[in-house]
Amino acid sequence: MTGCKMKPHHDMGGDPAGPIMPDKPDDPIFAKPWHKRVLGLTVAGGAMGAWSIDTSRFWRENLPKADYQSFSYYEKWLAALTNLFVAKGFVTREEIINGLPSGPKQPLHAAALGADRVLAMLAAGAKASRPEIAKPLFQEGQKVRTRLPDATKRQMPGHTRLPHYAADKIGVILFYHGHHVLPNSNAHFLGECPEPLYSVEFSSADLWPDGHAGDVVIVDCWQSYLEPLT
Amino acid sequence: MPHDHHDEDAHSLLPSEPALRVKALETILVQKGLIDPAAVDAIIDRYEHHIGPQIGAGLIARAWSDPAFKAQLVNNTDGILSDLGFGGRQGEHIVVVENTPDCHNLVVCTLCSCYPWPVLGVPPAWYKSDAYRSRAVREPRQVLAEFGVIIPPEQKIRVWDSTAEIRYLVLPMQPAQSHGLDESELALWVNRNAMIGTGLPQPPAKT
Repeated sequence: MTGCKMKPHHDMGGDPAGPIMPDKPDDPIFAKPWHKRVLGLTVAGGAMGAWSIDTSRFWRENLPKADYQSFSYYEKWLAALTNLFVAKGFVTREEIINGLPSGPKQPLHAAALGADRVLAMLAAGAKASRPEIAKPLFQEGQKVRTRLPDATKRQMPGHTRLPHYAADKIGVILFYHGHHVLPNSNAHFLGECPEPLYSVEFSSADLWPDGHAGDVVIVDCWQSYLEPLT
Repeated sequence: MPHDHHDEDAHSLLPSEPALRVKALETILVQKGLIDPAAVDAIIDRYEHHIGPQIGAGLIARAWSDPAFKAQLVNNTDGILSDLGFGGRQGEHIVVVENTPDCHNLVVCTLCSCYPWPVLGVPPAWYKSDAYRSRAVREPRQVLAEFGVIIPPEQKIRVWDSTAEIRYLVLPMQPAQSHGLDESELALWVNRNAMIGTGLPQPPAKT
């Protein structure tokens, strides 16, 4: 099981890294024209409803490590979007390899996002909250211990939103946000499985050997990421 | 026809490799009826020309000017944003976190690039960079110093890692020099980074 304990490459909180390059006030919103095309295609593709944002995230982080580390941001989006269109059967591998559609022009798919629906789709968004189906197990102010990321996954390789730096740590429940769709399940088409979602506060000094006393880090955790402190 | 533009002639007319790949994918998707290119144009237009940090700045300036609005913005965030038409994609569940003399707030997404799109637009490149994602949770004081923000040791820092669909918007402290200005003037003091926590409100640049 050693392979399962490896920290995945997208989970980089706390890793050593170089300087941050702040932008300038007049930098363009999109550095390259193709960046905006990828954003538009990704949002329009997602609006078809064939996959959730959790699935999109899983496919981006599940790109091969070499690609994840060498691709620019929008290249990761492009690669994951392409793979998703193929995986869901909308496009064939041959079409992608050839760079050409295999058949004649098709009318707009019933699920495709028409231009007339864009404003309403963006304004509506997609809420992740769901009706409360059970009372939350934990109360605000209560101490909890986080589990290991792999212990929260529903399959291997799988998706979780519990970062390694906050795994197996003691924190305090700061807020309860109601029930939210569980990405660990939803990313893999295993159902929304809504769970109580909490903001959990950790002392920086508990997370890092060089943490500044008094500083805190807050991580949003679903209930199944947490165990009561005994 | 020009003969003397050797520099222009020297570089390739072909687009960069990722640009070609995007074009190829879009061509396939449009031909198969999966994507309406006009919808892609409309999405880009929203994020390039309409949705951006000026929306968040207007909210902060109004909160500074109007205590009743501030209370609503902090306590009924999704309700008030929806009423004002500023809800929507990647901002369905926004939490406003207020800076005080005792506490400075900083927002990051270590696992990807979650960001409150309807009030700040699409995130800047540095927010999505490995360096920011890696370091903000571990050494926020050094990260802030690289942005020119020095937090005194006794002022606590709260770093919000956006691991769920909750999106965090920082409500910065109003600078003393800006008191008495009206809402539209105040909005010019609120820059994007001040609402992420990597900046502080600043007087607008003289024109």
